[in-house]
Amino acid sequence: MSDALPVSPADCSRVCEFLYRRTGMVFTEDKRYYVERRVNERMRATGSASFNSYFALLRIDVAGEIEQFVNAFTVNETYFYRESHQLRCLTKDLLADRVKRTGPAKAIRIWSLPCSTGEEPYSIAIWLLQNWPSVDAFDIEIVGSDIDTRVLAAAREGVFGKRALMQLPADVIDKYFVPLDDEQWRLLDDIRGSVLFAPVNLIDAPATATFGRFDVIFCRNVLIYFDDASRRVAAENLYESLLPGGFLCLGHSESMSRISPLFEVRRYSDAIVYQRPEANP
Amino acid sequence: MPSGQPEPRHPADVLRDGTADQRWSAARALGAGTLGAGTLGASTLGASTVGAQRAGDTSGVGPAAVDAVEALANALRTEADPRVRQAIFTGLVRLGSPACVEAVIPCLRVDDPQLRGAALDALRAMIGVVRPMLPALLADPDADVRLLSCDLARELSTSDATRLLCDVLARDTEPNVCAAAVDVLAEIGDAEALPFLEACAGRFGDVTFLGFAVRIAMQRIVAERPAPHAGAV
Repeated sequence: MSDALPVSPADCSRVCEFLYRRTGMVFTEDKRYYVERRVNERMRATGSASFNSYFALLRIDVAGEIEQFVNAFTVNETYFYRESHQLRCLTKDLLADRVKRTGPAKAIRIWSLPCSTGEEPYSIAIWLLQNWPSVDAFDIEIVGSDIDTRVLAAAREGVFGKRALMQLPADVIDKYFVPLDDEQWRLLDDIRGSVLFAPVNLIDAPATATFGRFDVIFCRNVLIYFDDASRRVAAENLYESLLPGGFLCLGHSESMSRISPLFEVRRYSDAIVYQRPEANP
Repeated sequence: MPSGQPEPRHPADVLRDGTADQRWSAARALGAGTLGAGTLGASTLGASTVGAQRAGDTSGVGPAAVDAVEALANALRTEADPRVRQAIFTGLVRLGSPACVEAVIPCLRVDDPQLRGAALDALRAMIGVVRPMLPALLADPDADVRLLSCDLARELSTSDATRLLCDVLARDTEPNVCAAAVDVLAEIGDAEALPFLEACAGRFGDVTFLGFAVRIAMQRIVAERPAPHAGAV
């Protein structure tokens, strides 16, 4: 017997509208089950007997419920090859575009922030080695940044559990990782050495400026946590950290169009990304 | 002691006559007074200066910030580059004083829809400071300003937004302004709005679209009312 509390289609659309206005996250009809489950979780957690009573306390943010509600819709864990469609887009479209603009024998700089315990920047390194034929022709610099220095220390360690590796093909794990025991693997030193880790605060303009400018920035699933003012500042800092024509990759549920008009939207077959215009708008 | 190096120019001067890149940097520098030492985490952002300003507390605005606001406000009147304009708006949002709101409001009156939209976004981002001025904005002689201001009420609590928008429904002579208020009430209004909605529909009986919008809004609000307690009459 299911103990799910009733959430009607109209309730779902209302909650999706609310979520969109708050975060820009869009959930369409095909995600209704996902939305219902999360609304149900929050209704149970708050002891709400009906959707209407839950929605009432959500709207007035009782006990920080808006943050809890948004958290329920985001995936906080990270793992290798997460949102691999963006990595496909990186090698198929973004780097091809950058190389065309910059010419051969130039450096390609990629920034991953916030990088948490390193899964994303290491994924980029491995993906390039596996999937970009031109990888040896360029001086590629990958930087991973986060405000949390503890996660950066863990990232440098390069030791990962099963869950972090769940999306990696077995041959890739065999090639780039050494098993420590049944539950843990250590990334090869060469790969660990290919990523530079440094702390950064995304809303601190002078701090972000010290990293110089990048060809591609991955900044996924963080802007949704910011308020409007901080989002605007972060968007300008990201713009300033990109080379003209450089690309910004956000999380699948994020949209720069709702934050800042500074970027141009680029729709590729594998991903929608944002580009700093070659010339200033 | 003369060093041979030119004196660095004040951002306010650069914002007046620099290149677009220089003006962009100057606007960012002028607006950077408060948020630069903030943190990335959403929880700590809530306690940042911006957080306080959103709530309307501008007691920490010092003389340097006042100068910066003045420079940004002056630049906003003449700046044509959209990128620099964006940085100016962001700077004003970060400084977040009533003077910043005053600087942005005239942009609601312009014909350029992009500039109007950018101004509305900026006001939305400093709603705590905008809130005391909202009744005046909702009573502005310019109907477009009143209409846009209705949208700002989305950022307020249900009861606050309902009170302000019911006042609009009761007195505004423009059906489009009332429709904007109805639209917001449909999303966040509470039961207090019901008689005002009904009266508004009656007042504009010949405006079909408004009657339709009012019906939808009332249905939504009624559907959301808490069920009466068992045994209540």
